[in-house]
Amino acid sequence: MSAPILQVAHLTKRFGNLIALNDVSLEIREGELFSIIGPNGAGKSTLFFNIIGLQKPDAGQILFRGMDITGKPPHKICDLGITCTFQVPRAFASMTIEEAIRVGAYKRYGERDVARKVDEVIALCDLEEHRRQRCCDIGLSLLRRVELARALATEPMLLLLDEAGAGLNPTELTELMTVLRRLNEEQHITLCIVEHVMQMVMGLCQRILVLDYGEVIAEGSPQEISTNPRVIEAYLGKGAVC
Amino acid sequence: MTDTLIQNLLNGALTGCIYALIALGLSLIFGVMNVVNFAHGDLVMVSMYLTFWIGLGTGIDAAITPLLTFPLLFLIGLLVYYAIIDRTLRQRYVTQIAVTVGLMTFLRALAQLIWKAQPRALPYSLIQGSIQIGSYTILASRLVSAAVSVLVIFGISLFLSRTWAGRAIRAASDDLDAASLHGVDFRQTYALAFGLGSALTAIAGGLLMTFQQVDPTMGVRFGLLSWCVLAMAGLGSIPGLLISGVIVGAAEAMGMSLWDPRARSLVIYLLFILVLWLRPRGLFGRK
Repeated sequence: MSAPILQVAHLTKRFGNLIALNDVSLEIREGELFSIIGPNGAGKSTLFFNIIGLQKPDAGQILFRGMDITGKPPHKICDLGITCTFQVPRAFASMTIEEAIRVGAYKRYGERDVARKVDEVIALCDLEEHRRQRCCDIGLSLLRRVELARALATEPMLLLLDEAGAGLNPTELTELMTVLRRLNEEQHITLCIVEHVMQMVMGLCQRILVLDYGEVIAEGSPQEISTNPRVIEAYLGKGAVC
Repeated sequence: MTDTLIQNLLNGALTGCIYALIALGLSLIFGVMNVVNFAHGDLVMVSMYLTFWIGLGTGIDAAITPLLTFPLLFLIGLLVYYAIIDRTLRQRYVTQIAVTVGLMTFLRALAQLIWKAQPRALPYSLIQGSIQIGSYTILASRLVSAAVSVLVIFGISLFLSRTWAGRAIRAASDDLDAASLHGVDFRQTYALAFGLGSALTAIAGGLLMTFQQVDPTMGVRFGLLSWCVLAMAGLGSIPGLLISGVIVGAAEAMGMSLWDPRARSLVIYLLFILVLWLRPRGLFGRK
């Protein structure tokens, strides 16, 4: 078994009286395809925001490759090798696709090498014919690819994808899964995906964590999760398990 | 009659280029960090006094002092950012407005203390003479000032679209969270935008001093004027800023020559209200 890349220990996040995350612990191992699922409002996106530094947890600890990153600002966390894509794509509206990706690439490269990195990522995400289009003019599936490309340009070791498959048609979904699998196998990027599209979760991931009302209710392989009574109950309500 | 009008329009349009330059500094600050900076015009005033001081003390011409005042104002901008603005970023709008209005009052009082409440001007400028086009006379200092303003605006536009730091500023302006997740340090980027925005007032201050006098109360006029230009142009369009600056300058001149010299501000603000009323996003703004 490989070493853990991300360890989250007893993470708690409150918004006023609402406990969005309650004592959540998890461990993602290097090279893994990990998934976090759960009904709407379970705290999945909040968990992401706390890991990448956009929100500060009220309690708990987050370790990245053994180093405490709890409460560090996002650009430092990006430096260390974690980045994410958003549930609702947030590309830079005033820029062309190429420029938006460039912003990510500047993290690791100077002006001289940045173009090479941008080309590489554009080829990988199949964006060549679109590179001069403006981010404010393109559709959802393309925006998702731009987000993925921009995130890849920062050369992450751990990439968090927040509902990257939502709103994609079956063909686009298959393409996305192929790209993600390649990233994992060829570039050894550890992936953690939050997803509602079960086809993607079950087809792609090795280990799944289930959140409900801010708590971890199950963890295991796709087979274990799909037969776990607590998970079925969380998704379909009490009485659904015969 | 028409001759005077065209003459005044020309002068106004040329001065408008400097307004656009001032507004560009404001637009960098407001567009990137959403801070309503009321002290911007007073930085122009301070720049003009610094130009006056340097000119008087060393004999360096007003047209050249920006080489000295630009880095100085950049540092002042950084200082203001880290000392004041950075602490109020997560506060309510009212708090931000209060601190920048406070800074505005402070700068004005400081100017009154150091330079006394009387208009000051430099006795001469390197840029002498005028150019005759048909029956119209254009003061060389105004023409050079306008040309330099346009060049600097063009340069800043290139900086924003071509360099790493410029792209970071735009990325932070488009979506701060997304930018910081892709490695943009927001505090550093904000400080750079604030410093650069302030430093642009140094160029404007130097140029203005080649044909104008300075007094401690003129900051508020430039401040509001640049807000007008910015609101008229809308966020995100640098050519739009230049055009709006020219419109404001020309409108001001027209009001003065057709109506009454005292009506200069009235005309500008009428135009301002009209634009906000008919087209709230500005003439060239996005969305």
